[in-house]
Amino acid sequence: MYTLLAGLLFPLKPGVLEVTPNSGRTGEEITVEITGYNSFYKKGEDSMRVWLKLDDARSLQARKIMVWDDRSMEAVFSIPEYLPVDRRVQDFSLIIDNEIDGAVSLPSAVFITQDSLDPEMGERVWVNDPITRLSADKGIHFPFRNILAETIRNTYFHVPLWFAMVFLFLGSVVYSVRYLRGFRIDDDQRAAALTRIGVLYGVLGLITGAIWAKYTWGAFWSWDVKQNMTAVALLIYFAYFVLRSAFEDPEKQARISAVYNIFAFVTLIPLIYVIPRLTDSLHPGAGGNPALGGEDLDNTMRMIFYPAIIGWTLLGYWIASLVYRFTRLREQHLDLV
Amino acid sequence: MQIVREIIHLFSKDVRLEFRSSYAISGILLYVFSTIFIIYTSFVQVQPQVWNVLFWIIMLFTSINAIVKSFVQESNQRQLYYYALANPTAILLAKILYNILLLFVLSVLVWGAFAFVAGNPVRQLGAFVGTIFLGSVGFSITFTFVAAISAKADNNATLMAILSFPLVIPILMTLIKLSANALGLLQDTSVDQDVLILIAIDLILVAMAFLLYPFLWRD
Repeated sequence: MYTLLAGLLFPLKPGVLEVTPNSGRTGEEITVEITGYNSFYKKGEDSMRVWLKLDDARSLQARKIMVWDDRSMEAVFSIPEYLPVDRRVQDFSLIIDNEIDGAVSLPSAVFITQDSLDPEMGERVWVNDPITRLSADKGIHFPFRNILAETIRNTYFHVPLWFAMVFLFLGSVVYSVRYLRGFRIDDDQRAAALTRIGVLYGVLGLITGAIWAKYTWGAFWSWDVKQNMTAVALLIYFAYFVLRSAFEDPEKQARISAVYNIFAFVTLIPLIYVIPRLTDSLHPGAGGNPALGGEDLDNTMRMIFYPAIIGWTLLGYWIASLVYRFTRLREQHLDLV
Repeated sequence: MQIVREIIHLFSKDVRLEFRSSYAISGILLYVFSTIFIIYTSFVQVQPQVWNVLFWIIMLFTSINAIVKSFVQESNQRQLYYYALANPTAILLAKILYNILLLFVLSVLVWGAFAFVAGNPVRQLGAFVGTIFLGSVGFSITFTFVAAISAKADNNATLMAILSFPLVIPILMTLIKLSANALGLLQDTSVDQDVLILIAIDLILVAMAFLLYPFLWRD
């Protein structure tokens, strides 16, 4: 519940959607129109400052800022004749700061083309406006990422679902091992219930992932390694249920499906953890993309992400225990009849 | 070493059984040749890319057909007799070894037949032979273990296919990539890594089969 409410209701941090025009030439006065997202430019007009940042030490402050409304404004920059770099086209990041929204940036927002190259000359004419006294963001927000935008909320559903699925399968394997050590039919039924919910989580994870992929990568299914491998993993577990239904004798069914369950879990590990890490993938954590952590999760997100994993896992165990008790009751009922 | 002797005896028993009946191998060979004939008549011209994929798909189905009978060809009573004589893990390991040999021979035959009708696009001979050997090992371990499971059920041919296809897909994908490399279809620098993946998967599977089989054979 906490995950659901917090995950869906907290607003995103203010971001910058668009900057037009996004290119200019040296020696010009350029006026860029900035379109913000979840921003309050009108309220923060008095303390509004805008920079174009070249690198950590060098940046240009806007000469004039005109705020139209909360989501759009114009900033005027005067670009020097020469830039202190020996590249024809140089990209600048846009930094906006005011007391309401805090500091917001858009990487490679504006491209400046130099007519002639002269780094030394550029060094001399460069007037540095250092970025100082950035305001801290107030209130609880999720970070704004350009491609992800509002879909960043899916982090609380898609990702914890997979974590929880693996925990459920692990629990199921523990019960299967216990069955093979003690041959108590209860353990097998618990293992089967956990696997059932694990597969349900896997399907949900695949669906949420596909929807997320539609909005960020452009297609529901893009034959990414992780997508393929999880589809295969789910097939393996579907086969588990076919195997269970193939036996009449409950003792034999329990023994053989416990053996298969352990075997399946062991093959699952290379499928979803090893192979995707070795090949290129669109997912984070492979092929040079950053994994979870680092700058991807900020503290506000952690506050919800970790409870989300625990919450989904516990919910899964609870549903599995219901399934298990239902199976038990049905069997007792059948015995009586 | 008791267990090694048992494995050797059981292995030679399987080989001798095969030679005496020669039912399995000739049946499979007929199956292979008719498949290749159908493929050839429908494709006529086979590109190396298609050759590669077809080769492994034929191998996949041939292996399943060859291995599904490992545990059902002998009657229950006779199996009980084996279990009384030898260690169950020795029986499983002997079956796996025998199936490796069988699959390797089969894949060389399929390769030969394929080369005969559709040309031989293999550029790096050593790499290709290595790939089909790794393939035989991987297929043999997975399919033998799954055959042991499905032999316990009655409709075991269907169950065999359902259980083993998803398990074998990662192996098959790596194999197709490796043999594409041997065919010169792609220049891949991570061959070592792929071989390592295959060996690692094989080791994991063999270890699991080894641990779990003692629970499986009892009836």
